[in-house]
Amino acid sequence: MSKHELMSYKIVVVGDGGVGKSALTIQFFQKMFVEDYDPTIEDSYIQHTEIDGKMCILDVLDTAGQEEFSAMREQYMRKGDGFLLVYSVTDRQSYENVPSFHTQILRVKDRDDYPMILCANKVDLVSLRKVSEEAGRDMASHLRIPYLETSAKENINVDLSFHELVRVIRQQPPDYKKERRRLGKKKRKCTIL
Amino acid sequence: MAEENVRIEESLKVKIGEAKNLPSNSLSGTGKSTFCVIRLDHEEIYRTSTVEKSLNPFYGEEFTGEIPKKFRYLSVQLYEASQNKSKVIGKTTLRRQELYKYHGKEHWFPLVPVDANNEVQGKVHLEIKFDEYLNGESENYTSQGLSVRVLECSDLPVTNGGCNPYAMVTLTYSKSRNKADIRRTTVKKKTTCPQFNECFQFVLGSKGQNSDRQTYYIEDEFNIDLGVSIWHDDSRMSREVFGKIFPGSFLGEVKMPLKDLTSGTVHNAWYCLRRRESWKPHQYDLGSLRLKISYTSDHVFPPEYYDELRELLLQSPDIEPITSSAAYILSEVVDHRQDAAQPLMKIFLHHNRLVPFIRSLAKYEIDRTADPHTLFRGNTLVTKLIDELMKLTGLPYLQETIKATIDQICIEHKSCEIDPTRLKEGEILEENMDSLKSYVQSIFQGIISSSLLCPTNMCEVFYALKDIAHHYFKDSSEVRYQAVSGFVFLRFFAPAILGPKLFDLRNDTQDSIVNRTLTLISKAIQGLGNLVSSKTLSYGLKEDYMVPLFQYLSQPSHIEAVRMYLDIISSAARARTQNVSGEAPIILKEGTLIKRAQGRKRILKVKNFKRRHFCLTNQKLSYSKNRGDNPLYEIPIEDILAVETLQEESFKMKYMFQVIQPERALYIQANNCVEEKEWLAILTKVCNRNKNRLKTFHPACLCKKIESSCEGCTPVSGGLHATDIQVSIDSDREVEKIHSQFLANREKLEVMQDACADQEVYTGEDNYQHPYIEDTKTCFVTLNEVLKCVISLEQEHMQYRKNKQRNTVIGSIDAPFGDESVVSYQENSRRNSKNQEEKVIYRFVDCLQML
Repeated sequence: MSKHELMSYKIVVVGDGGVGKSALTIQFFQKMFVEDYDPTIEDSYIQHTEIDGKMCILDVLDTAGQEEFSAMREQYMRKGDGFLLVYSVTDRQSYENVPSFHTQILRVKDRDDYPMILCANKVDLVSLRKVSEEAGRDMASHLRIPYLETSAKENINVDLSFHELVRVIRQQPPDYKKERRRLGKKKRKCTIL
Repeated sequence: MAEENVRIEESLKVKIGEAKNLPSNSLSGTGKSTFCVIRLDHEEIYRTSTVEKSLNPFYGEEFTGEIPKKFRYLSVQLYEASQNKSKVIGKTTLRRQELYKYHGKEHWFPLVPVDANNEVQGKVHLEIKFDEYLNGESENYTSQGLSVRVLECSDLPVTNGGCNPYAMVTLTYSKSRNKADIRRTTVKKKTTCPQFNECFQFVLGSKGQNSDRQTYYIEDEFNIDLGVSIWHDDSRMSREVFGKIFPGSFLGEVKMPLKDLTSGTVHNAWYCLRRRESWKPHQYDLGSLRLKISYTSDHVFPPEYYDELRELLLQSPDIEPITSSAAYILSEVVDHRQDAAQPLMKIFLHHNRLVPFIRSLAKYEIDRTADPHTLFRGNTLVTKLIDELMKLTGLPYLQETIKATIDQICIEHKSCEIDPTRLKEGEILEENMDSLKSYVQSIFQGIISSSLLCPTNMCEVFYALKDIAHHYFKDSSEVRYQAVSGFVFLRFFAPAILGPKLFDLRNDTQDSIVNRTLTLISKAIQGLGNLVSSKTLSYGLKEDYMVPLFQYLSQPSHIEAVRMYLDIISSAARARTQNVSGEAPIILKEGTLIKRAQGRKRILKVKNFKRRHFCLTNQKLSYSKNRGDNPLYEIPIEDILAVETLQEESFKMKYMFQVIQPERALYIQANNCVEEKEWLAILTKVCNRNKNRLKTFHPACLCKKIESSCEGCTPVSGGLHATDIQVSIDSDREVEKIHSQFLANREKLEVMQDACADQEVYTGEDNYQHPYIEDTKTCFVTLNEVLKCVISLEQEHMQYRKNKQRNTVIGSIDAPFGDESVVSYQENSRRNSKNQEEKVIYRFVDCLQML
């Protein structure tokens, strides 16, 4: 029964305000680019997709970039299976704030690494670019996570970043805690028998 | 510097995140319902709400406070909630000295069992001396005696609601461990600082002879341990009936080998009570707790010590470019920009420089913003400053505007889920939508009708933002609204609705149903705030289920109301700036009323009543013959000293009220009771911030000489508005905070200096490791000045620490034996004075040479 059940992945999109988290998410789900800017508080989207021949449910949470909402961050960080860390290449400050998201996720998860992907968004705005690709790759290797240059407007690497994240999640060894619990139950059964 | 001139200000912030792998309920195997308690030593200072049955409960609560006392331990205890008596599961304890290790970082702490033998606090004052005398039996031997005087204790804990302490003095002989000589003091009732003043004499030599009937060797005494333990006498029964079988609750002990004490002198000293020597840490796995602890202890010197650094900071708004200013540099070197924003905002606000500083930062940000839509949407210094300002001065305003509705939502506890996929069984979407709409409507009304209550400090900033946005984006009226709504809606109302506990609107945490309702309302309110600046309605692309709600909300009347609200809170008049004249007045209320002739010329003639069209704007109250006519008379808002009802007897007319001006009063009659109330309410709000507001008035038109100096007989209503409280700011302390932030990040300042030099030589290198400097020359100059201030201030601190260390007598009541803070403090200052001082000064000399 459980073998046929679809795997569901909770993906959380984080990053500073105005870097294009919602634009990426809407581009991925609706295949459209929103020109207007409406700051997000918390939006969630669900979709069935096939990735590498396997069907799965993508449950994506689009979050608020303003730190005034950071009290909620922990809640969704606890639930997320994987994270897209987004910054805008036209906004240096948003790039500099990426490591704090990374650290907070690892702290909340109490792990040394976790499925995450660094998205350098708005690469279509070539003339306004302030953060180079080199600097982006530099940070990604520092944080030991994959790096992708994206543009929600031109639909560059949007699907790829979500799919890559799912691949990274799939590569994760199964949660050792669940494993332990299962083993414990089996053992107990044996002794009773 | 004299010690008494230095204030020590300690503050503590503990964020309790979550627990994991807690022990499960032995019967059902499910999680327990738990809550956490924060304690300083034994004293409870904070308690979280209870989280129902979970092995990995999430608390997400934060305690912030000033610490008025010297504590030794900070502990967070995890309790199992129960109706009768909550049971402690485990705790995590940190000594005060080790708090700095975890400062400002999230950390998982293992939970350990709570054991009375490990929970100690307080200290004991002892006097110990050796007496030497001949033992009489043989002239060749002298015998030694020991006298132990238990003088007093201080700061004992309260156990089970009381503290009836007594002391037990024990001598233990190492040769025969099980034999001990035990003496007890009397029990002192109901005191945490008992005065015992009891002396016990021990004969050391004879005991040695008695025990093994052999000759007494002088070495024996060196193997004797002296112990003094303090106990709480739980009940009289245990002591008087059962004798000494039940000693009571252990409060702490002091142990010392006699060989550590030199004979011949009197040892009179205070000792810290310690946990029981026999106590061993347990090895149970009780799970762990995620905490974020920030503890600061600032030594605040007299004001003149901070003048230099304060001046340097306050110059920041005038520095070009702003990135080369001391305040901006601070925000770049600290780990979290918020840590810098808080003291900076307070200093600038206190010295009336906040608005210029925000203007400079906002201009800089606009220059760099490519798309006006994303203006002020990131997390930058300017947004943090405004956020901190709104948190400091906006809380009473929130209470006034949205608390009533939030309370209603929490009490009614209705489901407002409108996402069909999340709907629970038996719930009807339309019903939920209706209750959600009514809540949103009620909060929305609360907000848009509160424009005159918005605190002046906030209005000043909003005016500045609007002004700048208008200046840069002349042809876009949306940007002007967006600049203000992006703060007041997005960063103030929306987060407050979402987390009422964090904004002091509620003191309990909400369950998932209420939380979901609040999330939906917060989204709706943010959407409304954003409507004024969006050209197209983008909500169709976002979550489908929100569309009907937004369609309902985006009526033109709502948009108009938001515009008006934003106009008023960002108007020059509300900001009390000088150039009011250039701004178009905003009409707050207009209508036809009847006014009594003011009799400016004919004092003795009968004064008639005439129907006039009244118009109140945010600048003045005026009336004219008909709507649209030129006003016949105008009263500037500043001249309205009070607005009050008038007793019916005065003119035998109902619904009369008076607008009191410096020279006379204008008597107006409203058409009905509702109108009268409305006019009174809005006029009172408008004139509430007038400096010359009257304190008393005449409720009736009794004397015709009301213009004369005769004082009123009734206090005016309204009073100073609660939403515009004066905040007190300790400028010195804030500068001291900034000093320690600079000091802690000295290395980053040095890296920035290097980067200044590097960038001069090599250009175009974009490196993750290296900070980017906008203007190397000015930045370098500021960095040098910052380092100069910080180093000279730190030298004062070092001098102070040296003096303090010199004056500290170990064993005195302030620095008892066994107090880790005294020891580590000395180590610290030693380390400081050796390494860091030299390093700082060498570096400083280098800098000067480079200049």
